Amino acid sequence: MAGAGGGGNDVQWCFSQVKGAIDDDVAEADIISTVEFNHSGELLATGDKGGRVVIFQQETENKSQPQCRSEYNVYSTFQSHEPEFDYLKSLEIEEKINKIRWLPQKNAAQFLLSTNDKTIKLWKISERDKRPEGYNLKEEDGRYRDAATITTLRVPVFRPMDLMVEASPRRVFANGHTYHINSISVNSDNETYLSADDLRINLWHLEITDRSFNVVDIKPANMEELTEVITAAEFHPHQCNTFVYSSSKGTIRLCDMRASALCDKHSKLFEEPEDPSNRSFFSEIISSISDVKFSHNGRYMMTRDYLSVKIWDLNMENRPVETYQVHEYLRSKLCSLYENDCIFDKFECCWNGNDSVVMTGSYNNFFRMLDRSQRRDVTLEASRESCKPRQVLKPRRVCAGGKRKKDEISVDSLDFNKKILHTAWHPQENIIAVATTNNLYIFQEKVN
Amino acid sequence: MDVEAKRIMALSISKLYSLRTQRGGLSLHRSLLLSLTVRAARDIYHTAQLLRDAEEEQVVPCAPDAAIEEPMEISNDSPQTLTPKEVAMKPQEPKETLEDDKENRCASERHSRKRCCKTAVEPDFLPLKKAKMDTDEEKQHLHGEVLRTNNGNSCRQAETLTAFPTNRAIVAC
Repeated sequence: MAGAGGGGNDVQWCFSQVKGAIDDDVAEADIISTVEFNHSGELLATGDKGGRVVIFQQETENKSQPQCRSEYNVYSTFQSHEPEFDYLKSLEIEEKINKIRWLPQKNAAQFLLSTNDKTIKLWKISERDKRPEGYNLKEEDGRYRDAATITTLRVPVFRPMDLMVEASPRRVFANGHTYHINSISVNSDNETYLSADDLRINLWHLEITDRSFNVVDIKPANMEELTEVITAAEFHPHQCNTFVYSSSKGTIRLCDMRASALCDKHSKLFEEPEDPSNRSFFSEIISSISDVKFSHNGRYMMTRDYLSVKIWDLNMENRPVETYQVHEYLRSKLCSLYENDCIFDKFECCWNGNDSVVMTGSYNNFFRMLDRSQRRDVTLEASRESCKPRQVLKPRRVCAGGKRKKDEISVDSLDFNKKILHTAWHPQENIIAVATTNNLYIFQEKVN
Repeated sequence: MDVEAKRIMALSISKLYSLRTQRGGLSLHRSLLLSLTVRAARDIYHTAQLLRDAEEEQVVPCAPDAAIEEPMEISNDSPQTLTPKEVAMKPQEPKETLEDDKENRCASERHSRKRCCKTAVEPDFLPLKKAKMDTDEEKQHLHGEVLRTNNGNSCRQAETLTAFPTNRAIVAC
């Protein structure tokens, strides 16, 4: 079975499945807002703007047909968050799911955290495939039996039933955030997790809902002096005392909770000096980091800003070790992208299982695979045109200017409404989930 | 360049105002980015204005100081009749005050020369007289906000967020 080795030009990606409605008329509630594999890769969760969570499960492989990789089918669907109204502030709280994070599996049930702008919920997803039958006082349909007709006593027994997957909210972590929650991250200690909003980061215990510890607070005494906000935060994959948070100014701070209870003072500050030749009206906006992710081995972290992906070595603060341009051809179009608000799009990024390849989305339903080991990159497209089973994805090329070659697409022809903000990579295999506006594409490595 | 700067300023401010009606409440991050863009555009615009004024001064060297001071006094007396930008600026930094003066001066110069342009140039989405009152209220809210020891549970977001962008909202006419 393939380990998640090279994903750039070594691996050929082919279409596996697409989930979601086919028609172009997209209901706003169906817009996918987050995608996340669980730790084994068996389950794939998506959250949408309507507050729903859909979980897909990988079918156990068909040993007789090794070419046919297992498929993901709907396992559970539930309404995680509902729209709320804050009467004090006269503000509506959106039900959109901002993030989903799985807990490592401890028993038969699965647990995940899902969050909207204000409230985090812990959901338990469990299977039921047996039910008790043979009650003495009740009929099978639930009606009570007439006591006078009961003449014998029997012991109810469990009998098999059709598999039912139940999702139940086990904890609701509310009222912890004044501003909009942008990140949640489960700690490697499996007991705590952090949640981050624009100005604060809170530490929660999974069992305790009525209080949390504030570990980072960057709110200035005078809000007029506000210069940066927190954009993303994540716990280190192995060190339970370490977490990082990124800012709208393009900096990343690493904090050690052993140093002090309040981590306002960072342990490390990762910042690359700005290139003065690239200065423009929009320099501030495009340097804002939209996502930060630790590598699986915990030695590196990756950040995504509007135009690039940067890989940082945790031991080197003054510059990233690698920088990849995602769509440099957009640099000359920043003004138009500002006008249509696309410049504010928050792209996410992800690592493959062995940290050799990273992936991020772009416009026109393009996504980029950046192979670190081979220093190569490829642009692929998630489109309905390439939906034949096991159809290999062809690399796409964007023509920045000048003469457009055959098979290239010019920058002006790109559809900026078709954006891929959320992607996920299976933790062990070369299986990726790519979310377009309302569809989820699953691609797999071509197996010969 | 300053035409572009002015356009971006107007665009940014209209975006800031449209944020207020968005579902889910004001986004602090978006407001901050928009405000930073407004400021960057404003700086470029003022630099261009300064250069232009410096050129004009050279051309008409005997422009009397009195003429400059008069409109400044007028503007100080009745800020409400001018565009709302000036009311939001506090004299925190001397540099900013100097810019205020230059802005007021050029604003009033424009008014004296081409009064009819005021309505044409001024974007209609901006509040006029309301801005001054807003500043006072916002200052109170901000002050109150700081006094309340906010442990993150008292959701006072609305006040600070409404205060924040408009205090920074600078418009050139």
